Amino acid sequence: MIVTRGITKVYNIGPVEIKAVDGLDISIEAGEFLSIVGPSGSGKTTLLHLIGLLDVPTSGSVSIDGQEAGALSPKELTRLRREKLGFVFQEFNLLPVLGARENVELPLRYLKVPSQERHRRAMEALEMVGLTNRADNRPSQLSGGERQRVAIARALVTDPVLVLADEPTGELDTHNTCKVIELMRDLNRETGQTFAIVTHDSMVADYTRRVITLRDGKVESDIAGLEKDPVCEADAEDIR
Amino acid sequence: MFKYVLRNMWRRKARTFLTVFGIVVGIFALTVLGALSARLNQQVKGARDWYSSKISVVPAGSSLFGGDSGYLELSKVAEIQAVPGVKNAIAGFGLPLEEGSTGFGTPEFIIGADLSQAEDELNLIKIKEGRILQDGDQGKVVLGSTLAEKFDAKVGGTVQLKGEPFEVVGIYEPTLSAPDSFAFVSYEDALNLFRAANPYFQVDNIAATIDVIPQPGVDMEELAQRIDESVEGVKVISPAEAEKQISQFSLIFNAILLGIGFIALVVGGLSIINTMIMSVSERTQEIGLKKAIGAETGSVLSEYLLESALIGFSGGLIGMLLGLLAVFLLNNATASNQVAVFTITWMVIVGPVVFATVLGTAAGLFPAFRAARLKPVDALKED
Ligand SMILES: Nc1ncnc2c1ncn2[C@@H]1O[C@H](COP(=O)(O)OP(=O)(O)OP(=O)(O)O)[C@@H](O)[C@H]1O
Ligand SMILES: [Mg+2]
Repeated sequence: MIVTRGITKVYNIGPVEIKAVDGLDISIEAGEFLSIVGPSGSGKTTLLHLIGLLDVPTSGSVSIDGQEAGALSPKELTRLRREKLGFVFQEFNLLPVLGARENVELPLRYLKVPSQERHRRAMEALEMVGLTNRADNRPSQLSGGERQRVAIARALVTDPVLVLADEPTGELDTHNTCKVIELMRDLNRETGQTFAIVTHDSMVADYTRRVITLRDGKVESDIAGLEKDPVCEADAEDIR
Repeated sequence: MFKYVLRNMWRRKARTFLTVFGIVVGIFALTVLGALSARLNQQVKGARDWYSSKISVVPAGSSLFGGDSGYLELSKVAEIQAVPGVKNAIAGFGLPLEEGSTGFGTPEFIIGADLSQAEDELNLIKIKEGRILQDGDQGKVVLGSTLAEKFDAKVGGTVQLKGEPFEVVGIYEPTLSAPDSFAFVSYEDALNLFRAANPYFQVDNIAATIDVIPQPGVDMEELAQRIDESVEGVKVISPAEAEKQISQFSLIFNAILLGIGFIALVVGGLSIINTMIMSVSERTQEIGLKKAIGAETGSVLSEYLLESALIGFSGGLIGMLLGLLAVFLLNNATASNQVAVFTITWMVIVGPVVFATVLGTAAGLFPAFRAARLKPVDALKED
């Protein structure tokens, strides 16, 4: 479904050439739940941006659903992102002046979905992440974990072929990290939604079925078929 | 999107307010001066109508608006009369109604004209009540509309001009220009009033101006040329020349207005650019996020343009309304003197608001393009 062939990203800092991503061949199938791990500076974010069509590779190619991204203009890339991809970032995910539901509606606005349908689909997505009761709250009125769940709802609302998440739990404590990754895992199991998650956190990686480890821009290991199933510790919030 | 842009502006209330306030000040000044200029232009237009149907002959070295070059010998009247194409040469003598009354509004004048010749000239303005002055009238006056109102004069009543009683025989229609503030009397009466006021001045057989009414079908410019060539020691002001002098007069004022507009443009424009650059840079990540999730370049562009246009528009609207209020209050304060200093036209209302909105939009162009051009990766990586 998503295939990269020899993608390389080179940064030139003065005379020094840094290969942030070095000739990667990776394919991601529909329904996968995978994580990308590796030490800092190993090229995880760069790879995610390349797969997410946010950045253009120095060489190599990315194709999504059989469509070659290399041949597309920036405008067409934007359209492809809008239609096929969902994003969850580490911290800056939501527009501060919009409420949770309005934030979730945003990608639908860019897709020119009529307002009633937008409203309905946004509420459905918020329901999937269990936040319908916070629909009108601004991001500043939500906890870090809730904000990430809203961001996941926003990524899901367009029914994308792939959700890309860059350190989605980077700012969260252990409990919230667990809740957020559990939510993504459940969504993957229930709806078959494909996720690719960049993370530092071994707990997050433990939840995923496939783990790609990068080092110096290259794949160090790519292990599939993992079936660990940790459970989040219950805490005060869960006891009702 | 509108709502979203408003919320973004509200997020930085103090900054938005200060920027808008900067525009308000500039537009306020522009509106007040615009109203002043509208009034002036109205008077200039009236003056143009008044001067364009005749040729004025004044002492050499003088202009339409006076000068220190003394007076014309009355003998010049006959000389001018002799020039082919001249129908009437009308000796005129004017003096201010009140000494040293300057300031805003049209100065009030007593205008004396040789009534044996002046019928055509006096008919240039429509009479509202009574009649125009006729040959042989002594101690009679026809008032311009503003003066009539000021004196609360009626036809058949009496008014005091420089302490002398005059019988009002007619009142002119308003022309919204200089003649509204004129009191028309005979040449002899005007001269006598002047003598009474200036006992040391030996004045006899002189005129301040000689107005020329051409015969029908005569080209006024050519006639002016002919008078100039055949009469010594005079300056001939043809309608075209009068037009030039009048325009020059309003040109200075319009230049001041333009200057204020330019200052408003530079100050307001720079402060909007500054504010918008700050907005864009503090929202770099937001822009990156939007583009990542599928916002088109155009949608980011129009969002920021809308924001700066709104700053311009609201500053323009508030500034214009405050300006109107000031104009209204000032006009009310001076209403007792029968001088409307300002005129409110559609141009005065719409002009500043359009100006400020266009300014806002133009000032937003550079920051908005900068925002729209941001690459999503670069914008997202920004801290
Ligand atoms: N815009 C850039 N210009 C120059 N070098 C860059 C740029 N972006 C990334 N790099 C370099 O590319 C390499 C990979 O960076 P990347 O951000 O992909 O690492 P990462 O694995 O996401 O690290 P972290 O875990 O710290 O987020 C690093 O050496 C980094 O310094
Ligand atoms: Mg990273």
